[in-house]
Amino acid sequence: MAKTINKNQINSLLKEVEKEYKAFAPIKGPEGDVLFKLLCDGEVALGSEDVVISPKDIFFPQWETMFKFKDGQIEETCESAPVFLFGIRPCDLKGLLFADEFFKRDIEDKYYLSKIEGRFIVTIGCIKPPRKDACFCTSTDSGPFAKDGYDLQLVDVGESYLIEVGSKKGEEFIAKHAKFFTDSDADTAKTKEDAAKAVELKVDFKKALDLMADDKFTPQEIYERIGERCLYCGGCLYTCPTCTCFNVFDNATDGKGERVRNWDGCILSGYTREASGHNPRTEKWIRAARRYEHKLKHDCKVTEKSGCTGCGRCLSSCPVNIGMSKFIQEITEKRRTM
Amino acid sequence: MKSKHTLTTCPYCGCGCGLYLVSDGAKVTGAYPSKEHPVSKGALCIKGWNCHEFVNRTDRLSAPLVKKDGSLQESDWETALSKTAKELRAISEKHGPDSVAFLSSAKTTNEENYLMMKLARAVFKTNNVDHCARLCHASTVVGLASTFGSGAMTNSINEFEKADLFLITGSDTTAQHPLIGSRIINSVLEKDAKLIVIDPRQIELAKYANVYGAQKNGTDVAWINGMMNVIISEGLEAKEYITERVEDFEKLKEVVKEYTPEKVEEITSIPKEKIIEAARLYAKAKKAMIVYSMGITQHTTGVDNVKSLANLAMLTAHVGFDCTGVNPLRGQNNVQGACDLGALANVFSGYQKVVDEAARKKFEAAWKVENLPGNVGLTVTEIIDGAGTGKIKGLYIMGENPVISDPNANHVREALQNLEFLAVQDIFMTETAKYADVVLAGATFAEKDGTYTNTERRCERIRKAVDCVGNSKPDWEIICEVAKRAGYEGMEYSHPSEIMDEIAKVTPIYGGMSYERLEPWGLQWPCLNSEHPGTKFLHKDKFAKGMGTFLPCPYKPPAELPDKEYNFTLSTGRVYWHWHTGTMTRRTSVLDREVPQGYVEMHPENAKALGVQTGSLIKVTSRRGSIDIKAKVTDKVVKDSVFIPFHFKEACANVLTNPALDPIAKIPEYKVCAVKLEKI
Amino acid sequence: MKNEYLPYPATIEEIRPETFDTKTYKVKFKDQKIADSFDYKQGQFAEISVLGVGEAPISITSSPSRKGFLEFTIRATGKVTDEIHKLKVGDVLHIRGPYGNAFPFDALKGKNLYFIAGGIGLAPLRSLINLVMDNRSDFKHIKILYGAKTPEDMCFTQELEEWKKIDDTEVWLTVDKPCDGWGCSVGVVTELWKETNIHPDNAVGILCGPPIMIKFVTMELSKSGFKDNDIVMTLERYMKCGIGKCGHCNVGEKFICVDGPVFTSEQVKKFPEKEHVL
Repeated sequence: MAKTINKNQINSLLKEVEKEYKAFAPIKGPEGDVLFKLLCDGEVALGSEDVVISPKDIFFPQWETMFKFKDGQIEETCESAPVFLFGIRPCDLKGLLFADEFFKRDIEDKYYLSKIEGRFIVTIGCIKPPRKDACFCTSTDSGPFAKDGYDLQLVDVGESYLIEVGSKKGEEFIAKHAKFFTDSDADTAKTKEDAAKAVELKVDFKKALDLMADDKFTPQEIYERIGERCLYCGGCLYTCPTCTCFNVFDNATDGKGERVRNWDGCILSGYTREASGHNPRTEKWIRAARRYEHKLKHDCKVTEKSGCTGCGRCLSSCPVNIGMSKFIQEITEKRRTM
Repeated sequence: MKSKHTLTTCPYCGCGCGLYLVSDGAKVTGAYPSKEHPVSKGALCIKGWNCHEFVNRTDRLSAPLVKKDGSLQESDWETALSKTAKELRAISEKHGPDSVAFLSSAKTTNEENYLMMKLARAVFKTNNVDHCARLCHASTVVGLASTFGSGAMTNSINEFEKADLFLITGSDTTAQHPLIGSRIINSVLEKDAKLIVIDPRQIELAKYANVYGAQKNGTDVAWINGMMNVIISEGLEAKEYITERVEDFEKLKEVVKEYTPEKVEEITSIPKEKIIEAARLYAKAKKAMIVYSMGITQHTTGVDNVKSLANLAMLTAHVGFDCTGVNPLRGQNNVQGACDLGALANVFSGYQKVVDEAARKKFEAAWKVENLPGNVGLTVTEIIDGAGTGKIKGLYIMGENPVISDPNANHVREALQNLEFLAVQDIFMTETAKYADVVLAGATFAEKDGTYTNTERRCERIRKAVDCVGNSKPDWEIICEVAKRAGYEGMEYSHPSEIMDEIAKVTPIYGGMSYERLEPWGLQWPCLNSEHPGTKFLHKDKFAKGMGTFLPCPYKPPAELPDKEYNFTLSTGRVYWHWHTGTMTRRTSVLDREVPQGYVEMHPENAKALGVQTGSLIKVTSRRGSIDIKAKVTDKVVKDSVFIPFHFKEACANVLTNPALDPIAKIPEYKVCAVKLEKI
Repeated sequence: MKNEYLPYPATIEEIRPETFDTKTYKVKFKDQKIADSFDYKQGQFAEISVLGVGEAPISITSSPSRKGFLEFTIRATGKVTDEIHKLKVGDVLHIRGPYGNAFPFDALKGKNLYFIAGGIGLAPLRSLINLVMDNRSDFKHIKILYGAKTPEDMCFTQELEEWKKIDDTEVWLTVDKPCDGWGCSVGVVTELWKETNIHPDNAVGILCGPPIMIKFVTMELSKSGFKDNDIVMTLERYMKCGIGKCGHCNVGEKFICVDGPVFTSEQVKKFPEKEHVL
């Protein structure tokens, strides 16, 4: 039989969890902003709050020291601690799983992989879309409820959350913390149906993927418009749950310092500029094309999954209202949205 | 793994975006936008997104330095602070109080600017205190104060979302104030707002303009008068508004009647049809916003330019309403605040004049001192000149880099070398700090508490995210320590909030502010008392000075025009990726990579004649010096004009610029000087 | 799990000047275990660090058949390579790798080989050339066509002479600007088509050089009847991590650093045109 947990039990449960894990959850600050933080930083927000940055930064920080050096000696600085991710959204789960696979592919990335070791994920389904005009997870088939990939999933059924178990680890967790859970026969079908209906923004994602799969399809006029309008702030890259590009540099004085990686991205012109000064991607439209083709075409070729999770953050963080959903509308509905 | 998020304010431009610094306890490891913040709304520009990086750089100053045997050596605070206090005191006693001077900083907090001017005035009894606002918006402060009564941006950033016309001149808005630029783009593309751009460089926004005119550098008064000429001759002026709210309309009519579109075309080279179209569009708009910046102010006619824009707005009733006004965009994160807090040679905090005896009495009582000086002090450029001539013998510079940022850089170096004592307080070893006798290691925005006031007059908090690097100290503490060692007891605070409480007591426009009330998103001045909600836009119902005044100006040419030998016009400015002298952005990997070196923009026809292409090295020479720099060939500049960003010390634009000043605002003419170009 | 980003110290044992801005460095890992495990193939590259300055991908120019050391031919073109040029024999570099795919070797056996290089592009080819020379009897006729700006810009001049002496091996040189006493051809490398017979039968062309040179040589080889699969080249792209993670060299769905740098003309043609890989 399914289990539920009363909403007022969540904090006590998390207190238990903190003994074993570094626990992160969406935490609302006094100013109203919600960010993934360590539990001790404040109150957990499980409503329909928008979290500006996806939880990717817990495993792939914006600035990360790779190793330190001094007098020619290298000291590795690679952290690991089992992470408990509580209350992430299904779109972000999809993003994390995508990034996991990427960092494992071919040559493994120890910095990322050591941080996901032993990770426990509790997703929460979205009853209302957090980014009201930007979320389009029903179109990308990544929400508002996750189908798999989580350890546990919370379904808001009023005063309590119904627990869906997604892994053996999840099952063991329930058993271990049995005192917090009660049996339930609540039916979640209606809740899920209503939640899906609440995601009002819908795009023809399949059609977009089909169009983009064709090598001859290059909507240059749209790319040019995006390239011209874009302010090159990097927001879409930094907030995207599947963007994983980084720059590497030495932060050092007189041979003493650290090697660092810092978020980077393909919309920037210097990203592909070679030491000689030659740059194959100087034109703005080519960089715009790179981003959309990467998410909607190249990723599908490599993994059979698109790199877009429908989270809508590219749109909601864009100062000039450019976003994946709008691009898809332009190519599939043949109308101007940007 | 990350553990802490600290809400603070971006240290770059005047937008004042709210962001969270992420830290792992020791280092800042990221910067994320605040969604709820009224300016950032979940977005930042690329400088903001990367503002954590320079904080972590290993070449940060981590201890005070004192010159010993000709070189700067690491020292302890007691030595550095007492030396600073003692030397300045000795010079002041020997040569009189006006032989020392203080340069404050638009990069530091309101509290620190207040303390710097208090140090100059209360402790060293001189009004020789100024800061880089002199180099950017001094003309605005004078020009708008004399026409409207208040020298600040009239409206708020979010009002850019609902205006229906923008007249942008001398502001590369998307590059320099990206989150204002974005609002303009969105309004134009999504809400059909109209856009007029008048700029000698074809800025990014120009491509969306209904009217774009490229004037000859330094001819702004002419085209603005031209627009007013058209408006009056077509009867489009706001007659009722003028009668009720503005004086001296007849004087305006008299001056602008000469500026027919034909004559204006001759002076400015903007086709007369464009002048007429711009005038009609602007006059007929309901909610029109003028947006301007350094392209208007950095001229020997800077004040005239500003007055003319103010005249234009009053003529058409385009000031004093929601989404309608005159908006000088302040460059530095806290240049508005540094002005507000009196880091200017002529005013105490809140623009209370030093020549006003009542104001002096008030500050004497508050600071428990006697005989505050009543003469207007020297400005930034005059201080540097004074150092050159020997009039200024001791100088204390906080967070400014005049060797790169001031005009005629070679002259600045000589002047600094001529000083008996120079103290420089900064976060990195700048080009200026190299000339210091004492270097005081200050703190970045990430390491201290305080407030900044953004371009829309919003005073907002910055909050400490990590500890100071090594042995460095928050700037406010350093100033207090110097004051104490100079024998003054009235500068002891345990936290910047106490400084703000003092500011509120003596500064009417900040009268209602306290750290408690500034939570979470700050307050916009005027905020007169503890119940006052702050002010979204200025001059509602009446101008700050009562009646507005038309102050018409005739066109005067720039101080240095091209001639046979120096046959190009140079203007200087900034690029999107970098900030001022590059101290922060050139230490940010992504930003430095995007534009790693300086360049001179020139028109393809000029490039062809010189036989150069993008990447060719050329020598640019003015009457003051010369630099070697790479060419960037682009039709975004007009023929015979060149543009050089001033961020790069290796190709320092300010070696070339003309220190000729606006007679009232004392702002140098960065935007026009004559140069010649040679292929190397 | 191995931390692939950690470089290992290697001592510079010899520095040979090649041209005014290019030197060849012979280095040896300090730790013998690291040296033994650094099992590279012809055409692969390594990431070389100067700690405190940064890291740059550099192709390995020594042949895997000659054990006990590594050689890199490095032109001073940026922050890291400029710094490497300041180092002396006995100084230490930090190296990780090897990375990338390799030039074919077994598949070339029994074939006529055309090595065509421009400037410093001869460095990666040299790895394969010497491997082939060390197994000379496995291959048929060999032609090495090498072009540079001037005679002073030619790398490995001594080795070019030695290769010339090997049976059934021709070396053809050309420069854009000759100097007094230059006895070989003048013009771009495709000019050599006029001087020597280029025949596609049982032949493979192996190219390395500036993109523009590769583009024209590929066109000429195709014109001469070479099939796209028999034209092999290395591509250049700005790289950071070298292991397919940082994204800088990601073109289409390929990472030049992992899926390349060696590609056949057939593969290159599949890259989107707007990416300007050549």
